[in-house]
Amino acid sequence: MALLSDLLGHAVLSGSVLALGALGEVIAERAGVLDLGVEGLMSLGAVVAVMTVTATPHPWLGLLAAGLVGGLGAGVLALSSVVLRANQVLCGVAITFLGLGLSSVIGRSVAGIPVSAVFEPVSIPVLSSIPVIGPAFFSQNVLVYLIYLVLPALVHFWMFRTRSGLDLRAVGENPAAADAVGVPVMKLRAVAVILGGVLAGLAGADLTLAVVPVWSDGMIAGRGWIAVALVIFAGYRPVVAVLSGLLFGLVTAIGFMGQARGWPVAPAILNTLPYLGTVACIIVPMLAFAKLRSAMAAPAALGTPYYRSGR
Amino acid sequence: MSAVSHRTRLTVVPSYRIAVGRGLSILAALSVVAITLAAMGRSPIELAALVVRSTVGSRFGIEDLALFMTPLMLTGAAVWVGIRVNLWNIGAEGQLYAGATAATAIGLFTHWPALVALPAMIVAGMLAGAAWIFVPAAARAWLGVSEIVTSLLLNFVASLLVYYLATGPWADRVTGALASTERLHMAFPELWGAVHLGFILALATVIGLGIGLAKSRFGYETAVCGSNPQAAHYAGIGVAPRILAVLLLSGALAGLAGVFEVAGTVHRLQGGLANNYGYLGIVVALLARGSCLALIPAALLMALILDTGIVLQTTQISSSAVLAITGLLVLAIAAGDELAAYVRVNRT
Repeated sequence: MALLSDLLGHAVLSGSVLALGALGEVIAERAGVLDLGVEGLMSLGAVVAVMTVTATPHPWLGLLAAGLVGGLGAGVLALSSVVLRANQVLCGVAITFLGLGLSSVIGRSVAGIPVSAVFEPVSIPVLSSIPVIGPAFFSQNVLVYLIYLVLPALVHFWMFRTRSGLDLRAVGENPAAADAVGVPVMKLRAVAVILGGVLAGLAGADLTLAVVPVWSDGMIAGRGWIAVALVIFAGYRPVVAVLSGLLFGLVTAIGFMGQARGWPVAPAILNTLPYLGTVACIIVPMLAFAKLRSAMAAPAALGTPYYRSGR
Repeated sequence: MSAVSHRTRLTVVPSYRIAVGRGLSILAALSVVAITLAAMGRSPIELAALVVRSTVGSRFGIEDLALFMTPLMLTGAAVWVGIRVNLWNIGAEGQLYAGATAATAIGLFTHWPALVALPAMIVAGMLAGAAWIFVPAAARAWLGVSEIVTSLLLNFVASLLVYYLATGPWADRVTGALASTERLHMAFPELWGAVHLGFILALATVIGLGIGLAKSRFGYETAVCGSNPQAAHYAGIGVAPRILAVLLLSGALAGLAGVFEVAGTVHRLQGGLANNYGYLGIVVALLARGSCLALIPAALLMALILDTGIVLQTTQISSSAVLAITGLLVLAIAAGDELAAYVRVNRT
């Protein structure tokens, strides 16, 4: 029982990073921008959070700084891929290079040093004493509650219950039609990319301030890319994206537990699990259920820059 | 809103505009780097002089350039054949590892004469590269699953597996080198200093590919599939098999890069062998735009940047700074190429 509880707890914790990154990516992709800079922005967020906390021991300040730097990096991406309409794949890959390179350069002074102030677990009374799921779900740090409960609800409400959310989705499906009825296409896309970047930066901070409390070079290790993949898996739905983050946290946790308990499999092989699992999870449902292909389809204008004259 | 003059976007951009746009964007990116270096208290001019002296200014520098160019031309070609038909193979890194692993298996466990072993390595490496992209390729062709993310995620798997092989079952037990296999029994012959036959073969591959795709039926049909899948379908061209074929070709080219890298340059399979060549292939392909032959100068430019990185590392500027500089350059070039498409038109 304790084992299962540990496994779930680890899944919730490590899944929160993926969930937050995926949530940000859902916002950007719903607006029609394929944001491949997540990995780089997460990395920047992670290192800036650690540096801030090293300077002033307040985890909330670290979180704030990470969000700001994520938004700033995404601003560069928005400028190039939305305002200048340069190729979105290239700009995203470039931001990832830039983010990974920069974070490694600026993070040299704090690399390998345990983070001084982290988000401590907060037990919710009553709920946390439920066997098995209590410790796993209700004795987590405050970020976990925010990521799994508050943020997805907010994003879902905004996207599907408000006028601006409708505009956002319209811009991603048919920017020409949205433009014709007076929706500011470029502005909404830029806002969506920047919001996505803020969440990617926060996801990085979540990693270093709550999950693995130390900065080391290359520690993002593809989490940003998995987040991008989860968005496809979740059919571009915010709540499903967060839940699939949890699912992939579980896959990571199984590999982690295998290492800790000395399964007769090399750690490197166990570490391939999250990546292989992600690939399988985006391909297998499509293979099994032909109907899913239209229900889970990407926004129609995803990846295509909008030119008014090309209307 | 009817202004006298306005800007319009060209669909076909003349190459001189691209050249000017790129020149300006590279200049802009380098100025940012120079200002940053100056702010860090380093002299950009001194560093630039050092870089020129130790890259194009010396024999070793030029040899290094050719060695860097060899995998870059091939990973560039791998990404380029995809982009040509609107497919993005971001997984060249993983396919390179797959090719290198196949070549290593032959190099470690056979004692065939080089005349047999080297062609066998090439074939095995290309097959391994194609096999590594098979699942993402088939999923893209028949299920419409984006190849960008699936091909990319397999990079992490490949790099972990290579690390596992190099530290586990294939680890070097002779010299005890860390995270590396033994030296392969055979290598591509060196032609000029450290520059090996792989460089010539990579050049030939790129030239052959350019001519082949421009002149062949396969090249034409895949180009149609890329620019308008519906039109291709109505013209009786099966789109899905062509998508699969192009991506397998792409994987095979990246696998070939791995063969030359392990059996020509590094001589051992080790973690980090791919050295970002797969990702940099995207940059090379972007720089080359529509022309396959332009991959060669594009790979040269990228090799120069990498070589610059090595030189800068000797002056305590880290390799990750080079990654950041590369990102900045790509961003600037992507934006520059787009801006070059806009011309001012006077309305009468």
